[in-house]
Amino acid sequence: MTTIREKGYHHWDGQLIEKRCTFWPITRTGIKLAFQRKYFKFLFASSFFPAVVYAVGIYVSERLEDFKFMAQGAERTIQVNPGFFKSYLSQDFLFFMIILLMALGGAGLISDDFRHKAVQLYFARPITKLDYLLGKAGVVVFFVGLLTLVPGLLLLVIKLLFSGSFKFFLQYPWLILSIIFYSLFLMIFFTSFVLLLSSLSKNRRYVSVLIFAVYFLSDITQGIFNVIFRSPYSALFSIKSNLKQVAAAFFLEKLPYAYPWYLSFLVLIIFCLLSYVVIKRKVRGVEVIR
Amino acid sequence: MRNEILRVFSFYFFLGKKSARTKVFFMISSASALLALVIRVYHLAGNWTETGQVIFQNILMVFFLQFLIIILALFYGTSIVAEELEGKTLPYLSSRPVARAAIIIGKYLAYLSLTSAIMISAVLVSYFILNLDQDFRLADFWTAIRYSLVLFLGLAAYLSFFTFLGTWLKRPILVGLAFGFGWESIIQYFPGTTQKLSIAHYLKSLLPQYITSSGKLGFLFIRLEPTKSVVAVITLVLIAVIFLGLASLIFSYKEYLFED
Amino acid sequence: MSAVIEAWNLSRWYGNVLGISEVNLEIQPGITALLGPNGAGKSTFMKIITGQLKPNLGEARIFGEKVWNNRRIFRRLGFCPEVDAFYEELSGFEFLSGLLSLYGFSPAECRKRAEKALELVELSDVKHRQVRSYSRGMRQRIKIAQAIAHDPEVLILDEPLSGLDPLSKRRIIKLIKEFKAAGKTIVVSSHVLPEVEAMTSEIVLIHQGKILARGDIYFIRELIDTHPHMIRIKSPHFRELAKILATEDYVLNISFEPPDQAVIFETHHRDKFFNRLNDLILESSLTIDEITSPDDNLQAVFDYLVGK
Repeated sequence: MTTIREKGYHHWDGQLIEKRCTFWPITRTGIKLAFQRKYFKFLFASSFFPAVVYAVGIYVSERLEDFKFMAQGAERTIQVNPGFFKSYLSQDFLFFMIILLMALGGAGLISDDFRHKAVQLYFARPITKLDYLLGKAGVVVFFVGLLTLVPGLLLLVIKLLFSGSFKFFLQYPWLILSIIFYSLFLMIFFTSFVLLLSSLSKNRRYVSVLIFAVYFLSDITQGIFNVIFRSPYSALFSIKSNLKQVAAAFFLEKLPYAYPWYLSFLVLIIFCLLSYVVIKRKVRGVEVIR
Repeated sequence: MRNEILRVFSFYFFLGKKSARTKVFFMISSASALLALVIRVYHLAGNWTETGQVIFQNILMVFFLQFLIIILALFYGTSIVAEELEGKTLPYLSSRPVARAAIIIGKYLAYLSLTSAIMISAVLVSYFILNLDQDFRLADFWTAIRYSLVLFLGLAAYLSFFTFLGTWLKRPILVGLAFGFGWESIIQYFPGTTQKLSIAHYLKSLLPQYITSSGKLGFLFIRLEPTKSVVAVITLVLIAVIFLGLASLIFSYKEYLFED
Repeated sequence: MSAVIEAWNLSRWYGNVLGISEVNLEIQPGITALLGPNGAGKSTFMKIITGQLKPNLGEARIFGEKVWNNRRIFRRLGFCPEVDAFYEELSGFEFLSGLLSLYGFSPAECRKRAEKALELVELSDVKHRQVRSYSRGMRQRIKIAQAIAHDPEVLILDEPLSGLDPLSKRRIIKLIKEFKAAGKTIVVSSHVLPEVEAMTSEIVLIHQGKILARGDIYFIRELIDTHPHMIRIKSPHFRELAKILATEDYVLNISFEPPDQAVIFETHHRDKFFNRLNDLILESSLTIDEITSPDDNLQAVFDYLVGK
């Protein structure tokens, strides 16, 4: 007969080997959980639609002769230059999809841990608060990066491949840096935005609504102020407009709003810093009940 | 059944009042009053020549009709079932001597009252901030009441629809967001009968259309082919009643399992 | 006496996972304990008889009536769910009076009943504190309070003693017995045998969704006694101990665990074995570090009964 043992604690005699990337398991799990959510895969795949369209655009621009019978005047509309890349990385649809994906897959990043009292389980392991936040941030960075940095660089590679020379690259040697740094900027901003809202409540559904509400409310405020004050500075109230203004600056394009780009940059950076302060205060190993 | 609905209503109205989320939504809706105050000061300084009515309608259309009403209805409507499942408190409700339909209707009415109170107070305050001056007439007061009633009807219809989604779907938020900010904001600008497939169309049909000197607000009523007021009211009431009925029916027969 | 709760051929599964299967049960007034390891199907059975779930097959009735969406039954039923869930923003008092208001009691009556229930579970002094600030034991007690506040005839308590300290356990057991004395029907689930023994002798053993045995707890004990008990003794003299006890006819098998300096005995007569062991300890200079019964837990009992 098999011995039936009682469950109990056993001392672990092994040696703890510290690994540097302690945040990685948190990121990996977050990504995995996001993909497990219903509709997420479909939405994620749909988010690449603009990238495909832009890739086709590059192809058409390189083969204008072949398409002349179909699209007259296309040479005027499809011009692959820094503005082309800027328009991809700052288009409304892309931002909307990022918001939608984050409302679905990112809303619960911290709020679910609060709800299930899991934060203390994290901190009962050799994980610092920074590791925890990096782990959670990694999830947003992963998705935003896949939608911005990866297609941005791929479009550049496609352009070089289709044109068959490095002429474009030599013409705009800074473009690759613009793509990288603007994508990084988007990753930092959206990470702060999503994690801030996720840390404000235990309820994932509420956070999802908040992600949408804050994003749209900022746009609405701009709309109302713009109608009334007729001032370009109204754009400072809108997340989307600020991102577009910064994008124009990163890609050395004409600014969409008539005010210095660094004001938008400052607004977004201050938002990120404030978010970091709030998130750091909110994420605690011990829940304080008042 | 009426008594049961009232009991559920009282309990959840009380619970809703205490909830931190209600306070957050109250703050969000109060943003309109703040906005109105800023505009009024700017207006008094003589910087903008449009009338208070026109400015208010701008706020009403953009902030209340296309944003707040949807956000409030979406969150509270989907909460009716979801919060009991997420909080695992459903057994406390479903083991009490109240019909399952009464739970849905009672909670719906409680949340409709709460959200209406949040929204209508913001509407009235913003309206009076923008319009209260020596030229204020009794007719203006009725306009404010009319706006409030239209928004109330809209809230009732949206809330009912989202309640239905909440009882039917496991994760109603995404579909709700797609409906509220996708379908509703696109279809209302389509010509012909198509626009009648949105709730916003009937709400817009009930609103007075102020013409601005610069035509700045023209886009808000673009392509609107208004439905007669009576028909619009009846349609909105019907939407509210039908979807609430469907939600009650689903909840009466469907069993809900906790996720973990 | 007619049964208060009846279940015929009750079956319920969650996708591919079996909850309960072909459960036939009649429960009379008094305390009946559903005993089974975690995941045995106790909670599923309770959820069905309280109208939280519908069975896939079969039928459950209370007082001869179907339960699902039946307001007449819910008025006479009190249910304490297993999950630790509350309307956290309410105080203990608001939580109880709020739920009582759903029965249609007047506000004054709600307050009176809430106060009484809080007193019964000894939470009167913290009644105005938010439930979210309650300790695990207090949360468990307020959950029991909401089940008894309206003075139901049938009380279904899913793991009511979990998370309670010994004193609170005793108090709740006393309360449950008082309900029994008042002629009510109480169904309690637990996976802890001694807790059940303290409440009732009428038990239903449930395992892997099926009723394994039903009846008096002593009958079940006897049933278990037909199988050998295992007793593990940790001692520096474990081989000597084995040598002495090997001569006893009630010792059926002996095995050793040298790394732990332990010996395991199998016996039919636990009482005889322990009497002899006591004598041995007193007579000789044998040092005993630890005595445990590896199979003295419910899972082992079930394994015996299902013939594992």
